[in-house]
Amino acid sequence: MAAAEGLAPWRVGFVGAGRMAEAIARGLVRAGKVEAQNVLASAPSNRNLCRFQALGCQTTHNNQEVLQSCSLVFLATKPHTLPAVLVEVAPVVTGEHILVSVAAGVPLSTLEELLPPSARVLRISPNLPCVVQEGALVLARGRRAGSSEAELLQTLLAACGQCEEVPEAYMDIHTGLGGSGVAFVCTFSEALAEGAIKMGMPSDLAHRIAAQTLLGTAKLLLQEGRHPAQLRTDVCTPGGTTIHGLHALEQGGLRAATMSAVEAATSRAKELSRK
Amino acid sequence: MAAAEGLAPWRVGFVGAGRMAEAIARGLVRAGKVEAQNVLASAPSNRNLCRFQALGCQTTHNNQEVLQSCSLVFLATKPHTLPAVLVEVAPVVTGEHILVSVAAGVPLSTLEEEGALVLARGRRAGSSEAELLQTLLAACGQCEEVPEAYMDIHTGLGGSGVAFVCTFSEALAEGAIKMGMPSDLAHRIAAQTLLGTAKLLLQEGRHPAQLRTDVCTPGGTTIHGLHALEQGGLRAATMSAVEAATSRAKELSRK
Repeated sequence: MAAAEGLAPWRVGFVGAGRMAEAIARGLVRAGKVEAQNVLASAPSNRNLCRFQALGCQTTHNNQEVLQSCSLVFLATKPHTLPAVLVEVAPVVTGEHILVSVAAGVPLSTLEELLPPSARVLRISPNLPCVVQEGALVLARGRRAGSSEAELLQTLLAACGQCEEVPEAYMDIHTGLGGSGVAFVCTFSEALAEGAIKMGMPSDLAHRIAAQTLLGTAKLLLQEGRHPAQLRTDVCTPGGTTIHGLHALEQGGLRAATMSAVEAATSRAKELSRK
Repeated sequence: MAAAEGLAPWRVGFVGAGRMAEAIARGLVRAGKVEAQNVLASAPSNRNLCRFQALGCQTTHNNQEVLQSCSLVFLATKPHTLPAVLVEVAPVVTGEHILVSVAAGVPLSTLEEEGALVLARGRRAGSSEAELLQTLLAACGQCEEVPEAYMDIHTGLGGSGVAFVCTFSEALAEGAIKMGMPSDLAHRIAAQTLLGTAKLLLQEGRHPAQLRTDVCTPGGTTIHGLHALEQGGLRAATMSAVEAATSRAKELSRK
């Protein structure tokens, strides 16, 4: 990779070592995209760094050190601490770095303002299932990041799940759908299981079947690329169990509730990114 | 397998060759559990049999032939024709056969690679038959043995649940579309979020309420969204759906 020629060996850095940083690191290492020993993470305390150490990664308390020894650096601090961190590391950022912000709600323009003009910056919005390598991620490019940087990042992050490049305007929507969506899916899974528990099925079994049904249906939708309404039609026997259940779903207004949830989460994301 | 010693080579039969039968056969063959040429399917016409032939399986119009040459037989006709078919094949059924009835209302999709299946045993089927079947059907997804009383609930949750999940996925996507995301992207992210979350729940074995708590930042986007979900009564609607589908399953099995 051209950008890495100045820094050898090929090293990936993380400024901030929280759950999302760890999930990305774990995905990259597990998929063999980078060796654990070539990952360096920094954080103020050891609280999170111990998990990086357990993975075989290097750690430090010095943010600048990460920039000095890694060519690809994920900026994964909490959003409110990121500006100060950017000011701290800016002196050691060069045009050879590829910087990837993981912070929700921090626009590319803010990042570019605080970093040298030659800095190549991208933003990603991951979600928690990156931990099991089935994340839904989107990335957006800053002014200095070209299509080759975007492709490089997309290829790397394929280790964590499905990653697509999008216009920055969609990132808050991804936070609402793919990020917060994890919690919405949990609620739905729980409710599916509880319906079965009400009908007499033991709790553990009900939860397993609910989650497995979610997994299988999602896989069908993704692999076959069918519209969910089409798949739904395909499984409805006239007068059968499914159409009876669907009627109850509609009567209960499931769709409206779900749309409202994505809307509310997205609106909150936009609000937070304006602060 | 003791039951198969009388019949060699080890053959799997299907009486009825519809979508469910095909899905099971496909799963077994793909996973190498049985060779396609050792699968025999019967159906009244060639309409469905051509798909079995395309898979490399043997076919026939003679139901009894399936029982006569296969030791493990899936009974996969439509529910209303099954009684007559059973009467027809009963004379050639022996204690060496393992007969598996495929429950009505379980859609094709649950038998794809990551399906959720349950099996229940009849009086003469012992734990070794159940284990054998469970091992074979692992080719099709997660398979658990349950008391027969749970089969209707499984129809409502795991069977019809596929359609409920589709509705939910569509609604997630549509929320994003309302906010300005293009449709294709929104549908993909919705489905991937479903997949990833389900994997997290299954692999880590955590209670969904625990995982939900873990992703809620105070004052953040998620808790705002969850509030809207609760205000809209998502849980009640979902529970009612599983209840309605299960009740209908019980109704149908009484007819």
